[in-house]
Amino acid sequence: MPYLDEIEAAIPGLRAFARALARDREAADDLVQDTLEAALARRAQWRGDGPLRGWLCRILLNRFRDGLRRNRPAAVALALVPDQPDPPAARKAEGRLALAEVHAAMGQLPDDQRAALLLVALEGLSLAEAASVMGCAEGTLASRLARARATLRQVTGREMVAQRHGKAGE
Amino acid sequence: MMPEGSRISAEEALRLRHGSAEDQARLAARAARDAGLAGDLEEWDRQDAALRALYAPVADEPVPARLTASVTAARAAVRAPAPGIWRIAAALALLALGFLAGWSGARMLQPPGPALAETAMASFATYAVEVAHPVEVGAEDEAHLVKWLSKRLGTPIRPPDLSDEGFRLIGGRLLPGETSPAALLMYEDEMGRRLALYVTRREGGETELAFAEEPGRRAFWWIEEGLGCALVGDLPRDTLRRLAISAYHGLTDT
Repeated sequence: MPYLDEIEAAIPGLRAFARALARDREAADDLVQDTLEAALARRAQWRGDGPLRGWLCRILLNRFRDGLRRNRPAAVALALVPDQPDPPAARKAEGRLALAEVHAAMGQLPDDQRAALLLVALEGLSLAEAASVMGCAEGTLASRLARARATLRQVTGREMVAQRHGKAGE
Repeated sequence: MMPEGSRISAEEALRLRHGSAEDQARLAARAARDAGLAGDLEEWDRQDAALRALYAPVADEPVPARLTASVTAARAAVRAPAPGIWRIAAALALLALGFLAGWSGARMLQPPGPALAETAMASFATYAVEVAHPVEVGAEDEAHLVKWLSKRLGTPIRPPDLSDEGFRLIGGRLLPGETSPAALLMYEDEMGRRLALYVTRREGGETELAFAEEPGRRAFWWIEEGLGCALVGDLPRDTLRRLAISAYHGLTDT
C-alpha cells in the first residue's frame, strides 16, 4: 500500500515542521496526529498526482489555524528553546547567528509569516509550491517571506551590518 | 529584467531565490554586481541554515507510538474491503436504478452536484478564513441581507436558524454563479468554527443529501425546488450532516 508507506515516511518531517510552527512538542505532535487521521480518512481522494508532503503540510496548517481560533489566548508560546537541537548540527550552522535568538525571533512573527518562511527554508519548497500549500497568491507569499526575513534580521541584531552593506554597494 | 543599477526589491529577489535554477542563476549574476543584494543573500543563507539547525533535528527523534498507530491501524483495515469498492458498488446500483427509472434518474449522477459542492467548498476556503471581512452584510442587518440576496437570486431565501447546534449567522455575501448569482451565508460557533451555506438557482435534477470532501473541508449538498445548496465546514461528518438537515428544513419550510 504505497499511500500508507508514503504517509508513514512523511511523519518525521511533519513533526519538525509542526514543532517549528507550534513551538511546543505536545501541541506539535497533536497537530501531526490530527493531520495523519485526516489524511487517512481522505485517502480515497488522493490521486498520487502531486506532492503528498505538500498536501499534508496544507492539512496541518489548516488544523493549526483552526486550533488558534479555538484557543487564542492560550496559544502564546514562551520564548525559550523547548527541545534543544542536536548540538553538533547547531554548532556547525551557528556562524554569527545565535540559534536561541533565531528561535525567539520566530516566535515574534505572525503565524502566516512563520509558516511561509518554514515552508521554503525548512521544507525546501519553491515559492510557487509554498503559495499553493498556503492557498495564497505567489505575490502574497513573497511579501510574507520578505517581512519575515526582515524581522528576523532586525531582531537578531544584524540590521546595522546590512545597512553598511547597502551603502557600500552604492 | 530590471534595468542595470536599480535596486531589486526584496520580494523580487526572494521570488528568484526560491524559484527555478535559472532564476537562481540570474539572481547570483545580479548579486555579483550589487553588494547590497549580495549581503541580503548571505543573510538569508544564514537564516535558512539556522532554521534547519534548529528544527530539522526533530525529524531524527524517535516517532511517538501514538503517531504511527493510526497508520498501522489503517494498514490492518486495508485487508477489509476498501471503502472505495463500496462506493463503486453504490454508484453502480444507482446507475442501474437510473436506467430503470429513465434518463431523469440517471441525470442525478451527472456533474451538476459535484460542481456545486466544489464551488461551495472553494467559496468556503476563500471566505471562512477571513478575520476582518468574512461577510459583506452582517447579521445585525439580517432583514436587508435577506431582501438583497433574495432579489439577486430571483427567489426568496431565508437564512436557516442553526442555533440549536450552536451556530449563529454572522452574515452573507453575493458570489458569481452559473445561472444566477449565488449567496454565501456564514455561520460561526462559540469556538470560532465557521460554516458556510452556499445557495444558488439550480433547475431540475433533484437530489438526495450527498457528501463531498476536500482537504480541510467537507460538504453536504442537495438540489431541490430550483435551489442548489451546499453546507460546508471543517466539522465531523455526523455533525455536519445534522446541520445540513436543519439547514435544509430551515431554507425550504415556510
